[in-house]
Amino acid sequence: MPPHATEHATLGPPARALELHGLSVEGVNQCVHCGLCLAYCPTFSELGTEMDSPRGRILLIKSLAEGRIALTDSTVEHLSLCLDCRACETVCPAGVPYGRLIEAAKAEIEHQRPGSLVRRAFRWVNFGLLLSRPRLLSLMAASLRVYQISGFRRLVRGSGLLKLLPGALAAWEALLPDMPPASARAPLPPVMPAEGERRARVALLTGCIQQVVFGADNRATAAVLVKNGYEVVVPQDQGCCGALNAHGGDHARALTLARQTIDAFEGARADAVVVNTSGCGAHMKGYAYLLKDDPAYASRAARFVKSVRDVSEYLAREPLRGPLRPVPMTVTYHDPCHVVHGQKIRTEPRRLLAQIPGLRVVDLAESDWCCGSAGIYNLTQPEMAGRLLERKTRHVLATGAEAVVTANPGCILQIAQGLRARGSSVRVLHIVEVLNRAYGG
Amino acid sequence: MTGERKQTLRRELEAIVGRGAVLSDPEELLVYESDGLTLFRALADFVVFPRSTEHVAAIVKLADREKLPFVARGAGTGLSGGCLPSEGGLVISLMRMNRILEIDYDNQLAVVEPGLVNLHLSWAVGPRGYYYAPDPSSQQACTIGGNIANNSGGPHTLKYGVTANHVLGLEVVLPDGEVAWLGGRTRDPNGYDLAGVFVGSEGTFGIATKIVVRILKKPQAVQTVLAVFDEVTHASDAVSAVIARGLVPAAMEMIDQLTIQAVEDAFGCGYPRDAAAALLIEVDGLAAGMASQLERIVAACRECGARDVRAAKDEAERQLLWKGRKSAFGSYGRVSPAYMVMDGVIPRTRLPYVLDRVNAIVRTHGLRVGNVFHAGDGNLHPNILYDPRIPGEEARVLAAGAEIMKVCAEVGGSISGEHGIGLEKADFMPFIFSEADLELMRRLKEAFNPGGLCNPGKIFPTKKSCVEVGPVAYRPHAIEEKGLAQRF
Amino acid sequence: MADDILAALRGVVGPSNLLTGVELSPYVLEGRTPMAAAFPGSVEEVSAVLTLANDASVPVTPWGGGTAMSVGAPPTRSGIVLGLRRMNRLLEHEPGDLTATVQAGMTMRDFQAAVHARGQWLSLDPPDPGAATIGGVLSANASGARRHLYGTARDLLIGVTIVCASGAIVRGGGKVVKNVAGYDLPKLFVGAFGTLGVIVEATVKLRPKPEVETLVAARFESLKDCGLAVCAVMGSDLIPSAIDLLDGEAAAAIGLPGERPALVVGFDGLAEQVEWQRAELARLCAELGGDDLRDLPAETWARLSVAAPRALTDPVAVMRLSVLPARVTEVIERAGATARGLGLRAAFSAHAGVGSITGALARGRDAVDAVVSTLRDWRDAARAGGGHAAVEAAPLAVKELVSVWDQPGAAIRIMRRIKTQLDPKGILNPGRFVGGL
Repeated sequence: MPPHATEHATLGPPARALELHGLSVEGVNQCVHCGLCLAYCPTFSELGTEMDSPRGRILLIKSLAEGRIALTDSTVEHLSLCLDCRACETVCPAGVPYGRLIEAAKAEIEHQRPGSLVRRAFRWVNFGLLLSRPRLLSLMAASLRVYQISGFRRLVRGSGLLKLLPGALAAWEALLPDMPPASARAPLPPVMPAEGERRARVALLTGCIQQVVFGADNRATAAVLVKNGYEVVVPQDQGCCGALNAHGGDHARALTLARQTIDAFEGARADAVVVNTSGCGAHMKGYAYLLKDDPAYASRAARFVKSVRDVSEYLAREPLRGPLRPVPMTVTYHDPCHVVHGQKIRTEPRRLLAQIPGLRVVDLAESDWCCGSAGIYNLTQPEMAGRLLERKTRHVLATGAEAVVTANPGCILQIAQGLRARGSSVRVLHIVEVLNRAYGG
Repeated sequence: MTGERKQTLRRELEAIVGRGAVLSDPEELLVYESDGLTLFRALADFVVFPRSTEHVAAIVKLADREKLPFVARGAGTGLSGGCLPSEGGLVISLMRMNRILEIDYDNQLAVVEPGLVNLHLSWAVGPRGYYYAPDPSSQQACTIGGNIANNSGGPHTLKYGVTANHVLGLEVVLPDGEVAWLGGRTRDPNGYDLAGVFVGSEGTFGIATKIVVRILKKPQAVQTVLAVFDEVTHASDAVSAVIARGLVPAAMEMIDQLTIQAVEDAFGCGYPRDAAAALLIEVDGLAAGMASQLERIVAACRECGARDVRAAKDEAERQLLWKGRKSAFGSYGRVSPAYMVMDGVIPRTRLPYVLDRVNAIVRTHGLRVGNVFHAGDGNLHPNILYDPRIPGEEARVLAAGAEIMKVCAEVGGSISGEHGIGLEKADFMPFIFSEADLELMRRLKEAFNPGGLCNPGKIFPTKKSCVEVGPVAYRPHAIEEKGLAQRF
Repeated sequence: MADDILAALRGVVGPSNLLTGVELSPYVLEGRTPMAAAFPGSVEEVSAVLTLANDASVPVTPWGGGTAMSVGAPPTRSGIVLGLRRMNRLLEHEPGDLTATVQAGMTMRDFQAAVHARGQWLSLDPPDPGAATIGGVLSANASGARRHLYGTARDLLIGVTIVCASGAIVRGGGKVVKNVAGYDLPKLFVGAFGTLGVIVEATVKLRPKPEVETLVAARFESLKDCGLAVCAVMGSDLIPSAIDLLDGEAAAAIGLPGERPALVVGFDGLAEQVEWQRAELARLCAELGGDDLRDLPAETWARLSVAAPRALTDPVAVMRLSVLPARVTEVIERAGATARGLGLRAAFSAHAGVGSITGALARGRDAVDAVVSTLRDWRDAARAGGGHAAVEAAPLAVKELVSVWDQPGAAIRIMRRIKTQLDPKGILNPGRFVGGL
């Protein structure tokens, strides 16, 4: 019985560059199909199906670009199931730029298969409206806080109304953190002078959602930087960096937001741009590639990229400045994907934690595995996100730590929710929060 | 296959393994079309994911009844096309059978399922001071079931042997769907050493569903030496010089300049980019005597003209050196869109001669080659780099490959040391085996797999014409001619 | 017809290499005298002999040094003994490759002497090396104490030349230390007792001769303590080449005074390695109540595997029990108790680290019954210990009542099919192996 015949699509020089939605996927040719990535891919590890592995997805992307296959339901499903955690990039000996490939594929999916009206509206509200308009986001946060503290949430959760929402929206509702009061959401001052001898001037990305939901972490970041001799400036006209758009396949808006971000930060004339959210940091480090074809921005982007630093990466360049107070706790560290895989920052946060007196850091199994948060993945793929979260919380609880330290708000929300669901009292903290405690904050 | 038959079979398979465990969409089957060797591809009709021995047995019985060819697949990291469904039918993926069933430290053995990733076993027993010795370079992804099929080796086989030396017993589903234990947990076989024969049979004797392996105590001490040479022949000489000093290192690996540059680009492992070749030599065992073994190795390397010889100063540096070595194949992706890895074995004393010949052959065909291999075992891995998009280049790669295999055969070697024959080398078997040799192997296959449905089209040559002398020109593999698989 | 065959055989091997009549007394097996014994001098002659026999459906018994001929079920038909003693040359030895190719009839001792001369050895130490031949050792899967570290024939054989029942000359494996081309034929023929083909040449892996080698004994009050010491050694950093356990009787047979169990451990390597390990062993043994630590003379190595039968003045049966290493002492204790209960003396030795026990039974007053009951119980003990047992030597009357080989389970189906494929007429050592193969 002969198998299905396939075309010799790769024989002979390619007729055209390999592209999806106008984005180059030439990187697929770097994959030599060795398969070393397989065991490091969370979705492959859960499912065992190669369409849900990096190597398999690369072949799907290649075949799509070559026109060997069409964007069928099953192809969409497998590509959408990718977390974009980029764990495969860390282990890939061939240096396949996987993140770029999957983003191009997601852009193509959004282009060809925008989905239902509800889904499109949801995306428009998020990507088109809220993320690019900080004030609107702030307003939304204020209304959410009303929803949460007024007792209306209890009513809704009790009513079974949630069951009427599409799965993703229901998941979203469950994940929603408690909105901090307006005081915590208040913007940071534009300039904060360094304490002690000034080491450098840094500009802080306060982010879009971050500032609204995790304003306290931004404050802590600024405080720790100040204590370490850095002058902190907060460009007031900054908005969203565009990471969520890029990961979600909204390439056009990602470009606009990247340009706006560069505009906003160039004026700060800082020695570094410090970021405390992993997805943003990794994405901003990729601006040079993103804007390489934009004559007005290409060289500016290349310069900008050199100044972008994750907060752990930046602080770990020098020993922490004392005095440091003891923080008597046992913690474990979870590596956010876009810190450890996206930016290859693994030892820095651990080196920082090791300097805090009284703090005991225990190892976390699979610490560099995705927790399932992955940007908006926990909203779009709640089932897989749940499996990965379950795996993560199991490992966390096995450590016996009192808190999980990490470096990204998405992970914090996700892991905290997982622990809550298990009735655990283990807390989830941003690393700057722990550092800030050592400074009495 | 008619749509109706396909529907019926799909329903039957789902009745065995459940929904969500049978693939038949063309896009899904596509990713199963090749293994780590992309030169060959073939599409299955179904990919099935059993979770137990009973599932595998039921699937195989169904295949037997329906006369459907079937082949087991692990992580698909193989390098000979051994797990391709070259005649269509079923791919039985064992990736959902990946549990460690038992670890018995007292008897230094573990019982595992075939889909377990090789390295994960060492991780599991590591905290108690044990490890699983066979360490193919793909150990971070490849499965123990796949290792069984190919009798996988790795850098440390020089001292510790290959997979067959570490397998005590196997529960297998035979090609007619019956289950039998070959070997067991004790050392001496009861009857013919069927476990020994099954290991390395490339999936043509049945499907292993439980595997009893030995686990070893981690050595007290390990030292890894990097010796840098300006001449490849000097490095080859050093391999024999170390052996001549009465040492059996745990591993002795050679890596040439092209490869060094690729892995340095990949991970920055600390190999000098300007070296013509480097040897990675590891000794392990007792702490006592370690220093004097190191001295002998250093002396042997220097005597052969090493420019620099140094021991890794700590575990981190040692791990980094090994990372470079083990990632070498994949890192060729940085210098070439495709490569074909060869797997010839030669008596190690013929290394200088054969390496020269290999380089000359590849040059003659206008191609580039990177060498990274188990020098201590004489197991060569010339990696011929090529671009599949350039017309005619693939044919030249295959021709050069055939010539290299012929050289290995001429010096008394073998055409495969650890990757297996699979589809790729089937037609080269007559280089080293006579028709009588092959006939006996066919009879052995007939004993296990009389219906021939279990992984058909592998190992045995499809033609008898490749014994002619001289370079073998590219010609389509027989299964290609039948339209059953394509090269790309 | 028999005369025709004899004449043809004589034509093949020459008159001086064909024994008949009274000359055959050394080749009488379990009371059966063969019709002839042929001693071919080349692979081609072996092939010719087998072709003749196969055509005439005459059984053939390959014969090396004859040291393991007691193993196996009694032959059911008389046939030709195929002696390989004339094929006794070392064909190739390249020290740089650590390999050698040798004809099957060369004795272990001669072979070892030849490779020793160039600083190497075959790390396999079966009993009776002066008589045992390479081909016989491989076919019987014979081994000695050093198997603990170096494995058995299956781990050392990398290539074989076989003459099939049909007379076809077949090579399997190769001459290189690592080789996965084709099926692993060497493993098929190791331990097959000549039932699938006749091994005529073998290529083996060698090792550099260790600079120093030593054998150390420690004594314990009970088998149990001795067993605990075995576990301690296995779980330690030591890398012994042998870990043997001997009961009081077997200990006496290797010259150790006092009827107490002994732990015998071998080390090899560089002087400093051996020295450190000896000291570490002393420490471990002292912790576990071992005493009387002493170095044993080199010739003791060869006595270890046969210590149990040698311990008895009149051994009537020998059984090999292959069990899980951690169960060795428990199996020996049970087996010993059974023998004593039936009024029989027994002795045990074990390559304890690999779970290979040799039990020997002395002749009792009542000829058969007690021996049969004991051996049956020993087999049960081996099964309870996670393994199986085979009778290595016993009188015919016993073999008629106790199966020589253990049940191989469902795998027997495949073994039968292999036998049918490779020896369709069933002429090679018929009926002597597992399941009547």
